[in-house]
Amino acid sequence: MKKTVQIPLGSQHISLLEPIRFKFECENETIVGVDADVGFVHRGVEQACTTKFDFKQVGFVVARVCGLCAITHSLSYTLAAEKLLDFTPNDRIRYLRMLMVELDRIHSHMLCLAHTAENAGFEALFMQIMGDRELVMDIQEAISGNRIQFDFIAIGGVTRDLTPEMVTLLHKNLDELSGKIADLIELFESNWSLSLKYRGIGALSLEEAQIYNALGPLARAAGLATDVRVETDDFPYEALGYEMMLETGGDIHARNRVRLREIMNSIAMCRNIVGNLPAGEIMEKAKGKPKGEVIVRLEAPRGELFYLVRGGGQNMLERVRIKTPTFSGIPAMMEVFKGSRYADAPAILASFDPCMSCTAK
Amino acid sequence: MKFFNAFRKKSPWILHYNAGSCNGCDIEILAALGPRYDLERFGVINTGNPKQSDIFLVTGPVTYRSRERLVELYCQIPEPKVVIAVGSCTAAGGVFRGMYNVEDGIDRYIPVDVYVPGCASSPQLIIDAVVESLQILERKSKAIETPFKLFGAVETVAGKLSRLGMAKKVTDAED
Ligand code: SF4
Repeated sequence: MKKTVQIPLGSQHISLLEPIRFKFECENETIVGVDADVGFVHRGVEQACTTKFDFKQVGFVVARVCGLCAITHSLSYTLAAEKLLDFTPNDRIRYLRMLMVELDRIHSHMLCLAHTAENAGFEALFMQIMGDRELVMDIQEAISGNRIQFDFIAIGGVTRDLTPEMVTLLHKNLDELSGKIADLIELFESNWSLSLKYRGIGALSLEEAQIYNALGPLARAAGLATDVRVETDDFPYEALGYEMMLETGGDIHARNRVRLREIMNSIAMCRNIVGNLPAGEIMEKAKGKPKGEVIVRLEAPRGELFYLVRGGGQNMLERVRIKTPTFSGIPAMMEVFKGSRYADAPAILASFDPCMSCTAK
Repeated sequence: MKFFNAFRKKSPWILHYNAGSCNGCDIEILAALGPRYDLERFGVINTGNPKQSDIFLVTGPVTYRSRERLVELYCQIPEPKVVIAVGSCTAAGGVFRGMYNVEDGIDRYIPVDVYVPGCASSPQLIIDAVVESLQILERKSKAIETPFKLFGAVETVAGKLSRLGMAKKVTDAED
Protein backbone atom coordinates (compact mmCIF):
# COMPACT_ATOMS: atom_id res chain seq x y z
CA MET A 1 0.00 0.00 0.00
CA LYS A 2 1.14 3.49 -0.73
CA LYS A 3 2.33 5.42 2.26
CA THR A 4 1.31 8.86 1.07
CA VAL A 5 -1.99 10.48 0.10
CA GLN A 6 -2.41 13.23 -2.44
CA ILE A 7 -4.65 16.08 -1.32
CA PRO A 8 -5.51 18.82 -3.79
CA LEU A 9 -6.35 22.38 -2.68
CA GLY A 10 -7.86 24.74 -5.23
CA SER A 11 -8.23 26.06 -7.87
CA GLN A 12 -11.50 27.35 -6.49
CA HIS A 13 -11.29 27.33 -2.73
CA ILE A 14 -13.02 29.38 -0.11
CA SER A 15 -9.87 30.23 1.78
CA LEU A 16 -8.13 31.61 -1.27
CA LEU A 17 -8.99 34.71 -3.15
CA GLU A 18 -7.17 33.55 -6.19
CA PRO A 19 -7.07 30.47 -8.31
CA ILE A 20 -4.03 28.40 -7.54
CA ARG A 21 -3.90 24.66 -7.19
CA PHE A 22 -1.72 22.92 -4.69
CA LYS A 23 -1.18 19.23 -4.62
CA PHE A 24 -0.06 18.19 -1.19
CA GLU A 25 1.49 14.83 -0.65
CA CYS A 26 0.63 13.84 2.87
CA GLU A 27 1.86 11.14 5.15
CA ASN A 28 -0.80 10.89 7.83
CA GLU A 29 -1.27 14.54 8.78
CA THR A 30 2.14 15.75 7.68
CA ILE A 31 2.84 17.29 4.32
CA VAL A 32 5.89 15.73 2.69
CA GLY A 33 5.68 17.15 -0.81
CA VAL A 34 4.01 20.05 -2.58
CA ASP A 35 3.26 20.80 -6.17
CA ALA A 36 1.84 24.17 -7.16
CA ASP A 37 0.08 25.21 -10.32
CA VAL A 38 -0.26 28.95 -10.74
CA GLY A 39 -1.15 29.55 -14.36
CA PHE A 40 -4.91 30.00 -14.05
CA VAL A 41 -4.95 33.75 -14.33
CA HIS A 42 -2.39 34.27 -17.05
CA ARG A 43 -3.64 37.10 -19.23
CA GLY A 44 -0.69 38.09 -21.36
CA VAL A 45 0.03 41.52 -19.96
CA GLU A 46 3.69 41.59 -20.97
CA GLN A 47 2.93 41.00 -24.60
CA ALA A 48 0.06 43.46 -24.63
CA CYS A 49 2.42 46.14 -23.26
CA THR A 50 4.59 45.83 -26.32
CA THR A 51 1.96 45.26 -28.99
CA LYS A 52 -1.28 46.96 -28.00
CA PHE A 53 -0.49 50.00 -25.92
CA ASP A 54 1.45 53.19 -26.35
CA PHE A 55 4.29 53.64 -23.84
CA LYS A 56 2.32 56.38 -22.10
CA GLN A 57 -0.57 54.01 -21.43
CA VAL A 58 1.48 51.08 -20.24
CA GLY A 59 1.71 52.46 -16.70
CA PHE A 60 -2.04 52.08 -16.32
CA VAL A 61 -2.03 48.62 -17.85
CA VAL A 62 0.67 47.19 -15.61
CA ALA A 63 -1.21 48.53 -12.61
CA ARG A 64 -3.83 45.92 -13.48
CA VAL A 65 -1.33 43.14 -13.07
CA CYS A 66 -2.26 43.14 -9.42
CA GLY A 67 -4.88 44.95 -7.40
CA LEU A 68 -2.93 45.03 -4.16
CA CYS A 69 0.44 46.33 -5.27
CA ALA A 70 -0.97 48.20 -8.25
CA ILE A 71 0.69 51.41 -7.25
CA THR A 72 4.13 49.79 -6.98
CA HIS A 73 3.70 48.29 -10.42
CA SER A 74 2.78 51.54 -12.06
CA LEU A 75 5.52 53.35 -10.14
CA SER A 76 8.17 50.86 -11.24
CA TYR A 77 7.15 51.19 -14.84
CA THR A 78 6.92 54.97 -14.64
CA LEU A 79 10.38 55.22 -13.09
CA ALA A 80 11.77 53.00 -15.81
CA ALA A 81 10.14 55.04 -18.56
CA GLU A 82 11.29 58.29 -17.01
CA LYS A 83 14.85 57.01 -16.82
CA LEU A 84 14.67 56.17 -20.51
CA LEU A 85 13.36 59.66 -21.24
CA ASP A 86 16.12 61.22 -19.12
CA PHE A 87 13.59 62.93 -16.95
CA THR A 88 13.94 63.51 -13.23
CA PRO A 89 10.79 64.46 -11.33
CA ASN A 90 10.94 67.15 -8.69
CA ASP A 91 10.88 66.40 -4.98
CA ARG A 92 7.20 67.05 -4.47
CA ILE A 93 6.31 64.41 -7.03
CA ARG A 94 8.72 61.94 -5.47
CA TYR A 95 7.30 62.53 -2.01
CA LEU A 96 3.70 62.18 -3.16
CA ARG A 97 4.53 58.93 -4.93
CA MET A 98 6.22 57.60 -1.84
CA LEU A 99 3.24 58.55 0.27
CA MET A 100 0.88 56.47 -1.85
CA VAL A 101 3.22 53.50 -1.91
CA GLU A 102 3.48 53.50 1.86
CA LEU A 103 -0.30 53.82 2.28
CA ASP A 104 -0.66 50.91 -0.10
CA ARG A 105 1.78 48.87 1.97
CA ILE A 106 -0.31 49.50 5.08
CA HIS A 107 -3.54 48.31 3.51
CA SER A 108 -1.91 45.32 1.86
CA HIS A 109 -0.27 44.17 5.07
CA MET A 110 -3.53 44.57 6.96
CA LEU A 111 -5.39 42.52 4.41
CA CYS A 112 -2.80 39.79 4.76
CA LEU A 113 -3.06 39.83 8.55
CA ALA A 114 -6.84 39.62 8.32
CA HIS A 115 -6.70 36.83 5.83
CA THR A 116 -4.25 34.82 7.89
CA ALA A 117 -6.49 35.22 10.92
CA GLU A 118 -9.51 34.04 8.96
CA ASN A 119 -7.71 31.01 7.56
CA ALA A 120 -6.47 30.07 11.00
CA GLY A 121 -10.07 30.16 12.24
CA PHE A 122 -10.28 33.55 13.94
CA GLU A 123 -13.29 35.07 12.22
CA ALA A 124 -13.77 37.89 14.70
CA LEU A 125 -10.15 38.99 14.36
CA PHE A 126 -10.61 39.03 10.60
CA MET A 127 -13.57 41.34 10.98
CA GLN A 128 -11.70 43.57 13.39
CA ILE A 129 -8.68 44.01 11.14
CA MET A 130 -10.85 44.51 8.06
CA GLY A 131 -12.73 47.20 9.95
CA ASP A 132 -9.53 48.98 10.92
CA ARG A 133 -8.26 48.70 7.36
CA GLU A 134 -11.08 50.96 6.20
CA LEU A 135 -9.25 53.85 7.86
CA VAL A 136 -6.46 53.56 5.31
CA MET A 137 -8.88 52.97 2.48
CA ASP A 138 -10.57 56.25 3.36
CA ILE A 139 -7.30 58.13 3.07
CA GLN A 140 -6.53 56.50 -0.24
CA GLU A 141 -9.97 57.29 -1.55
CA ALA A 142 -9.68 60.91 -0.47
CA ILE A 143 -6.28 61.36 -2.07
CA SER A 144 -6.69 59.47 -5.29
CA GLY A 145 -10.43 59.17 -5.83
CA ASN A 146 -10.59 55.40 -5.82
CA ARG A 147 -10.20 52.74 -3.16
CA ILE A 148 -8.22 50.32 -5.25
CA GLN A 149 -6.55 50.84 -8.61
CA PHE A 150 -5.93 54.51 -8.07
CA ASP A 151 -4.34 55.61 -11.32
CA PHE A 152 -2.36 58.15 -9.37
CA ILE A 153 1.02 57.93 -11.03
CA ALA A 154 1.61 58.96 -14.62
CA ILE A 155 4.76 59.65 -16.60
CA GLY A 156 5.87 63.12 -15.56
CA GLY A 157 4.26 63.29 -12.16
CA VAL A 158 1.14 62.46 -10.23
CA THR A 159 -2.45 63.17 -11.21
CA ARG A 160 -3.81 64.78 -8.06
CA ASP A 161 -2.50 67.17 -5.49
CA LEU A 162 -2.77 66.97 -1.72
CA THR A 163 -5.21 69.44 -0.17
CA PRO A 164 -5.27 70.58 3.48
CA GLU A 165 -8.47 68.57 4.09
CA MET A 166 -6.75 65.40 2.94
CA VAL A 167 -3.84 66.09 5.27
CA THR A 168 -6.21 66.55 8.21
CA LEU A 169 -7.99 63.30 7.37
CA LEU A 170 -4.68 61.52 6.97
CA HIS A 171 -3.43 62.60 10.36
CA LYS A 172 -6.71 61.79 12.06
CA ASN A 173 -7.02 58.32 10.57
CA LEU A 174 -3.38 57.42 11.00
CA ASP A 175 -3.51 58.42 14.65
CA GLU A 176 -6.50 56.18 15.18
CA LEU A 177 -4.86 53.39 13.22
CA SER A 178 -1.60 53.45 15.11
CA GLY A 179 -3.50 52.96 18.37
CA LYS A 180 -5.31 49.97 16.87
CA ILE A 181 -2.11 48.46 15.54
CA ALA A 182 -0.50 48.82 18.95
CA ASP A 183 -3.44 46.89 20.40
CA LEU A 184 -3.02 44.23 17.75
CA ILE A 185 0.68 43.83 18.52
CA GLU A 186 -0.25 43.40 22.17
CA LEU A 187 -2.89 40.81 21.21
CA PHE A 188 -0.54 38.83 19.01
CA GLU A 189 2.07 38.78 21.77
CA SER A 190 -0.14 37.72 24.62
CA ASN A 191 -3.09 35.74 23.34
CA TRP A 192 -2.68 32.09 24.05
CA SER A 193 -5.06 30.63 21.47
CA LEU A 194 -3.52 32.77 18.74
CA SER A 195 -0.09 31.50 19.69
CA LEU A 196 -1.28 27.91 19.21
CA LYS A 197 -2.05 28.61 15.58
CA TYR A 198 0.84 30.96 14.87
CA ARG A 199 3.90 30.21 16.93
CA GLY A 200 6.29 27.66 15.52
CA ILE A 201 4.03 26.94 12.55
CA GLY A 202 5.40 27.10 9.04
CA ALA A 203 8.92 28.06 10.03
CA LEU A 204 11.61 29.03 7.55
CA SER A 205 15.17 29.08 8.87
CA LEU A 206 17.77 31.65 7.93
CA GLU A 207 19.78 29.16 5.85
CA GLU A 208 16.69 28.09 3.95
CA ALA A 209 15.77 31.69 3.36
CA GLN A 210 19.21 32.31 1.89
CA ILE A 211 19.27 29.16 -0.22
CA TYR A 212 15.77 29.60 -1.62
CA ASN A 213 16.04 33.31 -2.19
CA ALA A 214 13.19 34.39 0.07
CA LEU A 215 12.25 38.04 -0.07
CA GLY A 216 10.02 40.62 1.51
CA PRO A 217 8.43 39.98 4.90
CA LEU A 218 9.04 36.25 4.47
CA ALA A 219 12.81 36.83 4.44
CA ARG A 220 12.83 39.51 7.10
CA ALA A 221 10.86 37.25 9.44
CA ALA A 222 13.62 34.65 9.06
CA GLY A 223 16.31 37.19 9.88
CA LEU A 224 17.52 37.85 6.34
CA ALA A 225 18.18 41.57 6.02
CA THR A 226 16.90 42.33 2.57
CA ASP A 227 14.79 45.29 1.55
CA VAL A 228 14.96 47.09 -1.76
CA ARG A 229 14.08 50.33 -0.04
CA VAL A 230 17.58 50.56 1.44
CA GLU A 231 19.36 48.97 -1.49
CA THR A 232 18.39 51.54 -4.09
CA ASP A 233 18.41 55.32 -3.95
CA ASP A 234 15.40 56.19 -6.08
CA PHE A 235 13.61 57.50 -3.02
CA PRO A 236 14.94 59.09 0.17
CA TYR A 237 13.62 56.39 2.47
CA GLU A 238 16.30 56.63 5.11
CA ALA A 239 15.93 60.37 5.46
CA LEU A 240 12.24 59.84 6.21
CA GLY A 241 12.67 57.41 9.05
CA TYR A 242 12.84 54.00 7.47
CA GLU A 243 13.80 51.17 9.79
CA MET A 244 14.29 47.57 8.85
CA MET A 245 12.12 45.19 10.84
CA LEU A 246 13.89 41.92 11.48
CA GLU A 247 12.66 38.87 13.34
CA THR A 248 14.33 35.56 13.86
CA GLY A 249 11.54 33.01 14.24
CA GLY A 250 10.61 32.61 10.60
CA ASP A 251 7.18 31.24 11.58
CA ILE A 252 3.72 32.74 11.04
CA HIS A 253 4.03 34.68 14.26
CA ALA A 254 7.28 36.27 13.13
CA ARG A 255 5.80 37.17 9.76
CA ASN A 256 2.82 38.77 11.44
CA ARG A 257 5.11 40.72 13.72
CA VAL A 258 7.21 41.93 10.82
CA ARG A 259 4.07 43.11 9.05
CA LEU A 260 2.66 44.84 12.11
CA ARG A 261 5.91 46.66 12.84
CA GLU A 262 6.27 47.66 9.21
CA ILE A 263 2.80 49.15 9.35
CA MET A 264 3.91 51.24 12.33
CA ASN A 265 7.02 52.29 10.43
CA SER A 266 5.00 53.17 7.33
CA ILE A 267 2.62 55.25 9.41
CA ALA A 268 5.57 57.19 10.80
CA MET A 269 6.99 57.65 7.31
CA CYS A 270 3.65 58.88 5.96
CA ARG A 271 3.53 61.48 8.70
CA ASN A 272 7.09 62.55 7.89
CA ILE A 273 6.33 62.79 4.19
CA VAL A 274 3.27 64.93 4.72
CA GLY A 275 5.11 67.07 7.26
CA ASN A 276 8.09 67.73 5.00
CA LEU A 277 6.32 67.98 1.66
CA PRO A 278 8.36 70.25 -0.64
CA ALA A 279 6.64 72.79 -2.85
CA GLY A 280 6.48 72.42 -6.61
CA GLU A 281 4.47 71.31 -9.60
CA ILE A 282 2.74 67.95 -9.46
CA MET A 283 2.99 67.29 -13.19
CA GLU A 284 5.90 68.12 -15.44
CA LYS A 285 6.48 67.60 -19.12
CA ALA A 286 8.51 64.55 -20.03
CA LYS A 287 9.42 64.83 -23.70
CA GLY A 288 10.71 62.28 -26.15
CA LYS A 289 10.41 58.59 -26.85
CA PRO A 290 11.97 55.90 -24.66
CA LYS A 291 15.23 54.59 -26.03
CA GLY A 292 17.55 52.11 -24.38
CA GLU A 293 17.18 49.55 -21.65
CA VAL A 294 16.73 50.02 -17.95
CA ILE A 295 16.11 47.92 -14.86
CA VAL A 296 14.10 49.18 -11.91
CA ARG A 297 13.68 47.47 -8.58
CA LEU A 298 11.19 48.54 -5.95
CA GLU A 299 9.92 47.04 -2.73
CA ALA A 300 6.30 45.96 -3.12
CA PRO A 301 4.45 44.93 0.05
CA ARG A 302 5.44 41.33 -0.66
CA GLY A 303 9.05 41.83 -1.64
CA GLU A 304 11.19 42.87 -4.52
CA LEU A 305 9.48 43.88 -7.75
CA PHE A 306 11.69 43.86 -10.80
CA TYR A 307 11.06 45.64 -14.09
CA LEU A 308 13.06 45.58 -17.25
CA VAL A 309 11.94 48.02 -19.93
CA ARG A 310 13.49 48.33 -23.34
CA GLY A 311 12.48 50.89 -25.94
CA GLY A 312 13.71 51.61 -29.42
CA GLY A 313 12.78 55.24 -29.78
CA GLN A 314 9.26 54.40 -30.90
CA ASN A 315 5.84 54.79 -29.39
CA MET A 316 5.66 51.07 -28.69
CA LEU A 317 8.12 49.53 -26.31
CA GLU A 318 10.25 46.60 -27.37
CA ARG A 319 10.19 44.61 -24.18
CA VAL A 320 8.61 44.81 -20.76
CA ARG A 321 9.68 42.12 -18.36
CA ILE A 322 8.03 41.89 -14.96
CA LYS A 323 9.32 39.67 -12.20
CA THR A 324 7.03 39.73 -9.24
CA PRO A 325 7.69 38.97 -5.57
CA THR A 326 5.57 35.84 -5.34
CA PHE A 327 7.20 34.29 -8.37
CA SER A 328 10.64 34.57 -6.82
CA GLY A 329 9.33 33.48 -3.46
CA ILE A 330 7.67 30.23 -4.56
CA PRO A 331 10.70 27.93 -3.84
CA ALA A 332 10.88 29.26 -0.28
CA MET A 333 7.12 28.82 0.10
CA MET A 334 7.33 25.22 -1.02
CA GLU A 335 10.06 24.58 1.51
CA VAL A 336 7.95 25.91 4.36
CA PHE A 337 5.08 23.57 3.60
CA LYS A 338 7.19 20.45 3.96
CA GLY A 339 6.90 19.07 7.45
CA SER A 340 3.86 21.11 8.43
CA ARG A 341 0.50 19.64 9.24
CA TYR A 342 -2.13 19.70 6.52
CA ALA A 343 -4.58 21.47 8.82
CA ASP A 344 -2.21 24.42 9.03
CA ALA A 345 -1.81 24.73 5.27
CA PRO A 346 -4.42 27.48 4.66
CA ALA A 347 -3.02 29.69 7.42
CA ILE A 348 0.57 29.19 6.27
CA LEU A 349 -0.46 29.94 2.73
CA ALA A 350 -2.21 33.16 3.70
CA SER A 351 0.75 34.25 5.80
CA PHE A 352 2.95 34.36 2.69
CA ASP A 353 0.44 36.69 1.14
CA PRO A 354 0.85 35.11 -2.28
CA CYS A 355 -0.36 37.02 -5.28
CA MET A 356 -1.24 34.82 -8.18
CA SER A 357 -2.41 37.62 -10.40
CA CYS A 358 1.10 39.02 -10.24
CA THR A 359 2.76 35.71 -10.76
CA ALA A 360 0.77 34.61 -13.75
CA LYS A 361 0.29 38.09 -15.23
CA MET B 1 -41.04 25.17 -4.32
CA LYS B 2 -42.52 28.31 -2.82
CA PHE B 3 -41.28 27.11 0.51
CA PHE B 4 -37.66 27.05 -0.64
CA ASN B 5 -37.95 30.32 -2.46
CA ALA B 6 -38.82 32.03 0.78
CA PHE B 7 -35.53 30.91 2.27
CA ARG B 8 -33.62 31.85 -0.82
CA LYS B 9 -34.96 35.34 -0.71
CA LYS B 10 -34.01 35.74 2.91
CA SER B 11 -30.55 34.24 2.84
CA PRO B 12 -28.87 33.92 -0.50
CA TRP B 13 -25.45 32.32 -0.36
CA ILE B 14 -22.75 33.41 -2.70
CA LEU B 15 -20.00 31.60 -4.50
CA HIS B 16 -17.06 33.74 -5.49
CA TYR B 17 -14.87 32.80 -8.40
CA ASN B 18 -11.85 34.61 -9.74
CA ALA B 19 -11.74 33.92 -13.45
CA GLY B 20 -8.54 35.86 -14.03
CA SER B 21 -8.92 39.20 -12.33
CA CYS B 22 -6.22 41.43 -10.92
CA ASN B 23 -7.55 40.84 -7.37
CA GLY B 24 -8.78 44.42 -7.17
CA CYS B 25 -12.41 43.43 -7.33
CA ASP B 26 -11.85 40.38 -5.15
CA ILE B 27 -10.54 42.44 -2.28
CA GLU B 28 -13.49 44.77 -2.68
CA ILE B 29 -15.80 41.78 -2.32
CA LEU B 30 -13.88 40.90 0.83
CA ALA B 31 -14.28 44.46 2.03
CA ALA B 32 -18.00 44.25 1.29
CA LEU B 33 -18.17 41.21 3.56
CA GLY B 34 -16.20 43.07 6.20
CA PRO B 35 -17.68 45.08 9.05
CA ARG B 36 -17.95 48.51 7.40
CA TYR B 37 -20.27 47.38 4.61
CA ASP B 38 -21.33 44.05 6.07
CA LEU B 39 -23.06 42.22 3.29
CA GLU B 40 -23.68 39.41 5.73
CA ARG B 41 -26.49 41.30 7.38
CA PHE B 42 -28.65 40.34 4.40
CA GLY B 43 -28.06 36.72 5.29
CA VAL B 44 -25.40 36.43 2.63
CA ILE B 45 -22.67 33.93 3.36
CA ASN B 46 -19.62 33.31 1.26
CA THR B 47 -19.66 29.58 0.70
CA GLY B 48 -17.08 27.44 -0.97
CA ASN B 49 -19.57 24.95 -2.23
CA PRO B 50 -21.43 25.54 -5.49
CA LYS B 51 -24.20 23.17 -4.48
CA GLN B 52 -25.24 25.45 -1.63
CA SER B 53 -25.03 28.71 -3.54
CA ASP B 54 -27.63 30.92 -5.17
CA ILE B 55 -25.52 33.83 -6.31
CA PHE B 56 -22.44 33.42 -8.44
CA LEU B 57 -20.05 36.36 -8.06
CA VAL B 58 -17.47 36.33 -10.81
CA THR B 59 -14.53 38.68 -11.19
CA GLY B 60 -12.06 39.08 -14.00
CA PRO B 61 -12.00 38.32 -17.70
CA VAL B 62 -12.20 34.68 -18.65
CA THR B 63 -8.75 33.27 -19.18
CA TYR B 64 -8.01 30.22 -21.22
CA ARG B 65 -7.55 27.97 -18.25
CA SER B 66 -10.30 29.27 -16.01
CA ARG B 67 -13.16 28.91 -18.49
CA GLU B 68 -13.72 25.21 -17.84
CA ARG B 69 -13.89 25.83 -14.11
CA LEU B 70 -16.23 28.75 -14.68
CA VAL B 71 -18.72 26.68 -16.67
CA GLU B 72 -18.33 23.74 -14.33
CA LEU B 73 -19.07 25.84 -11.28
CA TYR B 74 -22.00 27.48 -13.03
CA CYS B 75 -23.48 24.10 -13.87
CA GLN B 76 -23.09 22.86 -10.34
CA ILE B 77 -25.11 25.68 -8.80
CA PRO B 78 -28.73 24.59 -8.54
CA GLU B 79 -31.51 26.53 -10.28
CA PRO B 80 -32.66 29.22 -9.85
CA LYS B 81 -29.43 31.15 -9.64
CA VAL B 82 -28.16 34.62 -10.39
CA VAL B 83 -24.84 35.54 -11.91
CA ILE B 84 -23.24 38.85 -10.98
CA ALA B 85 -20.33 40.10 -13.05
CA VAL B 86 -18.17 42.26 -10.81
CA GLY B 87 -15.90 44.81 -12.44
CA SER B 88 -15.46 46.13 -15.90
CA CYS B 89 -13.21 43.32 -17.03
CA THR B 90 -15.93 40.78 -16.30
CA ALA B 91 -18.31 42.76 -18.45
CA ALA B 92 -16.20 43.32 -21.53
CA GLY B 93 -12.60 42.50 -20.79
CA GLY B 94 -11.75 45.92 -19.41
CA VAL B 95 -8.11 46.71 -19.81
CA PHE B 96 -7.41 43.11 -20.72
CA ARG B 97 -9.69 43.18 -23.73
CA GLY B 98 -8.11 41.42 -26.66
CA MET B 99 -5.06 40.07 -24.88
CA TYR B 100 -4.07 36.71 -26.22
CA ASN B 101 -5.04 34.56 -23.28
CA VAL B 102 -8.27 36.36 -22.44
CA GLU B 103 -11.77 35.94 -23.81
CA ASP B 104 -13.23 39.25 -22.78
CA GLY B 105 -16.43 39.16 -20.76
CA ILE B 106 -17.78 36.16 -18.94
CA ASP B 107 -21.05 36.43 -20.86
CA ARG B 108 -19.31 34.59 -23.67
CA TYR B 109 -19.74 31.53 -21.53
CA ILE B 110 -22.54 31.94 -19.06
CA PRO B 111 -25.61 34.19 -18.89
CA VAL B 112 -25.11 37.20 -16.67
CA ASP B 113 -27.93 38.90 -14.75
CA VAL B 114 -26.28 41.89 -13.14
CA TYR B 115 -23.24 43.80 -14.33
CA VAL B 116 -21.34 45.84 -11.76
CA PRO B 117 -19.33 48.67 -13.31
CA GLY B 118 -16.05 50.07 -12.08
CA CYS B 119 -12.42 49.22 -11.98
CA ALA B 120 -12.32 48.35 -9.17
CA SER B 121 -16.04 48.34 -8.40
CA SER B 122 -16.67 49.67 -4.94
CA PRO B 123 -18.29 47.69 -2.12
CA GLN B 124 -21.34 49.95 -2.29
CA LEU B 125 -21.93 48.90 -5.89
CA ILE B 126 -21.41 45.26 -5.04
CA ILE B 127 -24.04 45.51 -2.31
CA ASP B 128 -26.42 47.19 -4.72
CA ALA B 129 -25.88 44.36 -7.16
CA VAL B 130 -26.59 41.72 -4.55
CA VAL B 131 -29.77 43.48 -3.45
CA GLU B 132 -30.81 43.77 -7.08
CA SER B 133 -30.08 40.13 -7.65
CA LEU B 134 -32.39 39.17 -4.81
CA GLN B 135 -35.29 40.56 -6.80
CA ILE B 136 -34.17 38.76 -9.92
CA LEU B 137 -33.85 35.55 -7.96
CA GLU B 138 -37.43 35.99 -6.85
CA ARG B 139 -38.69 36.52 -10.37
CA LYS B 140 -36.72 33.74 -11.97
CA SER B 141 -38.80 30.72 -12.72
CA LYS B 142 -37.56 27.22 -12.85
CA ALA B 143 -36.48 27.76 -16.44
CA ILE B 144 -32.98 26.49 -16.84
CA GLU B 145 -30.45 28.62 -18.59
CA THR B 146 -27.66 26.63 -20.12
CA PRO B 147 -24.14 27.84 -20.83
CA PHE B 148 -23.88 29.28 -24.33
CA LYS B 149 -20.55 28.18 -25.48
CA LEU B 150 -18.92 25.16 -24.03
CA PHE B 151 -15.21 24.89 -24.68
CA GLY B 152 -15.24 26.43 -28.12
CA ALA B 153 -17.91 24.22 -29.63
CA VAL B 154 -19.76 27.17 -31.16
CA GLU B 155 -18.12 29.40 -33.73
CA THR B 156 -16.81 32.71 -32.56
CA VAL B 157 -19.24 34.74 -34.62
CA ALA B 158 -22.23 32.80 -33.42
CA GLY B 159 -20.85 32.49 -29.93
CA LYS B 160 -20.30 36.20 -29.56
CA LEU B 161 -23.33 37.67 -27.89
CA SER B 162 -23.86 41.37 -27.93
CA ARG B 163 -24.56 43.10 -24.67
CA LEU B 164 -27.91 44.17 -26.05
CA GLY B 165 -28.85 40.57 -26.70
CA MET B 166 -27.88 39.69 -23.18
CA ALA B 167 -30.05 42.36 -21.67
CA LYS B 168 -33.00 41.08 -23.63
CA LYS B 169 -32.35 37.60 -22.47
CA VAL B 170 -32.59 38.62 -18.85
CA THR B 171 -35.87 40.41 -19.33
CA ASP B 172 -37.25 37.43 -21.23
CA ALA B 173 -36.39 35.24 -18.32
CA GLU B 174 -38.13 37.61 -16.02
CA ASP B 175 -41.58 37.53 -17.55
S1 SF4 C 1 -12.26 45.49 -13.08
FE1 SF4 C 1 -10.27 46.42 -12.69
S2 SF4 C 1 -9.93 46.11 -10.51
FE2 SF4 C 1 -11.54 44.70 -11.13
S3 SF4 C 1 -10.50 42.80 -11.59
FE3 SF4 C 1 -10.71 43.95 -13.50
S4 SF4 C 1 -8.80 45.09 -13.71
FE4 SF4 C 1 -8.96 44.42 -11.59
